[in-house]
Amino acid sequence: MIIDFTAAAYLSIAFWASGSLLGIAARGNSIMKNAATGLNLGGSIIMIAFIAMYWSALERPPLRTLGETRLWYAALIPLVGLLVEQRWNISWLKYYCMALAGFFLSINLMHPEVFDKALMPALQSPWFIPHVVVYLVGYVLLAASSVAGWHNILLTWRKKNTLQNDAIGHYLALLGFVFLTFGLVFGALWAKDAWGNYWSWDPKETWAFIAWLIYLGYLHASSWKVRRLNLQWYLALAFLVLLVSWFGVNYLPTAANSVHTYQQS
Amino acid sequence: MAPHHRKWFQAPWEFREAALMAIMTAAFGFAIQYALGGQGITLPAWPLNGVILTLLALATTALGLSFRNRPPVQWLGGIPLGLSLILSLAVLSFIGGMVPQGAEGNPAAVRLGLYSIFSSWPFALTVALFLVNLGLSLVWKTVPFSPKNLQFILFHAGFWIALACGIFGSSDLQRLIVPVYEGRSTSRGLVSGGGREVRDLPFSVKLHDFSIEEYPPQLMFYDPESDRFIMAGTQAVTEVRKGTTISWKGTRVEVTEFMDSAMPGPDGIPITAPPSAGIPYAKVRITGSGEQPDTWLSTGGPGMRPYVAGIESQILIMVPGSPKSYRSAVTIQAEGGRSLEAALEVNKPVNFEGWKIYQMGYDEESGRFSTLSLIEAIRDPWLPGVYLGFFMILAGNTLFFWNGIKRSGVEA
Repeated sequence: MIIDFTAAAYLSIAFWASGSLLGIAARGNSIMKNAATGLNLGGSIIMIAFIAMYWSALERPPLRTLGETRLWYAALIPLVGLLVEQRWNISWLKYYCMALAGFFLSINLMHPEVFDKALMPALQSPWFIPHVVVYLVGYVLLAASSVAGWHNILLTWRKKNTLQNDAIGHYLALLGFVFLTFGLVFGALWAKDAWGNYWSWDPKETWAFIAWLIYLGYLHASSWKVRRLNLQWYLALAFLVLLVSWFGVNYLPTAANSVHTYQQS
Repeated sequence: MAPHHRKWFQAPWEFREAALMAIMTAAFGFAIQYALGGQGITLPAWPLNGVILTLLALATTALGLSFRNRPPVQWLGGIPLGLSLILSLAVLSFIGGMVPQGAEGNPAAVRLGLYSIFSSWPFALTVALFLVNLGLSLVWKTVPFSPKNLQFILFHAGFWIALACGIFGSSDLQRLIVPVYEGRSTSRGLVSGGGREVRDLPFSVKLHDFSIEEYPPQLMFYDPESDRFIMAGTQAVTEVRKGTTISWKGTRVEVTEFMDSAMPGPDGIPITAPPSAGIPYAKVRITGSGEQPDTWLSTGGPGMRPYVAGIESQILIMVPGSPKSYRSAVTIQAEGGRSLEAALEVNKPVNFEGWKIYQMGYDEESGRFSTLSLIEAIRDPWLPGVYLGFFMILAGNTLFFWNGIKRSGVEA
């Protein structure tokens, strides 16, 4: 490979890990806290820089394979954690987010991707970037909402949960749903241009639709008299459906008919 | 959650009754499907589908406005039933996401419609009930109108319109595959998914030229023993250009010459040829283990055998690059007289007299030498309705996003 992914990945993970340790050690010390935030941010900036260089070396957007999308998740999800900390003063989320990012990079380290510039004609479209990036952001937000759900379940068991914590999970899910909807509709508009039909119940489309319905269900449940703990369980588990839609669909018996498998070799 | 002291069907109805309703609807649908021997629902075409949809909209509006204070009607348009139906649609779609659609399988499962779930009775009935539920909630939020309901109205109305137009309009969709050879003209197409049924188009398509652009060919090792391609130990696709080198297991291969379109000359040495006749050739220098005199590689093509090089137990080959783009230069001529010159390409369909014309495919056996282009002509008169629904959904979601950002923090 032209650019050294291994070095970039280890560097990012090192930044996130040292930032997390420093953040935990900081307690009240604001200088140490800021340094920790700088390190956490640095980890994502390294990944973003890597993606930019990789993009230019590939001469196409690095959004075709699952491994390439994992790079984006790894870069973006810690940013969601840091934004939540800035906006709502909730600091626990970012640790989960960085752990998740490190996990995604580890998968890529264990399964190196083939450096392949080819982009099939169906993917050469102005819709390619908006469709995938909007979905990426949606998945990142919903992953964070699921993490919040699990965290809140644990806190509820220890009788330490707050309304504020539930509200975070809720808003992450709400924003994630908006992005999911945009991704779905952009996909439909693109499909009309590429394949002639905006909707053809392709397995990936079907699973994206199921995931969308599940989060639509969450929003309706949360606007009705559903118990708070049940809503946290709902958010925590709903992400599993999204995971099937993201990559699980490739392993299902229906995958053979899918036009959405762009993995080669 | 329903309070525990409330008995089944004791007013006001809530989730239990809603879940039962959703399950009964799907069960009833499966029963019809089974009784009909697996025959899915066939929706009527224009104008009957338009009439039914208008009646559905009018009936929902009348019901919502006349009986808005009646508990059973409130329940019919309420969130418990809405949520139950959303989850029921998710479960039915889950069947469609697990069972290969359109395939053959267990006769009982086929008869229940599991292999064609999206045109099955349970799916159709659930969608119909969902449209009523969604429609009622929409009527109540719209009359009387208040600007603070705008986000709700846009999202729900958009969903109703897109779903209704998508499903009721599917019977008016026409998809025709038009095969046409270079220099020829045709005005007939094969009905997509309709076996050998041929239909006349209101226009003709003349193909002047079909062309393919490919990515550069790749160098690979082939191991005859395991019948596998080996990517020379690197994690990169090796695009063949002059100067490309790969090293693997003590063998070094360097491309010293590259011609992207050539044919064998009288002495076996390739000479440049026009793209319509030639194939890629590369001269390689192999050093280290398996060292040999410089040799030519080629991908092979119609009537031209591939040139390869044996390196110990393996074979060094050049694989043609995947297609980068392909296009058809056509003239589309309407019966009435209007004509259009166009270059059809994947992702770039052309509009003509209410039809969209697509570059679909070509003769893949012949690859870049194909003189056959597969063009697809599609007419979907309900598309504007579906798109209107989509844009309303997006507009509603933009407001939702904005409110979500603004109303941050704790909701007591």
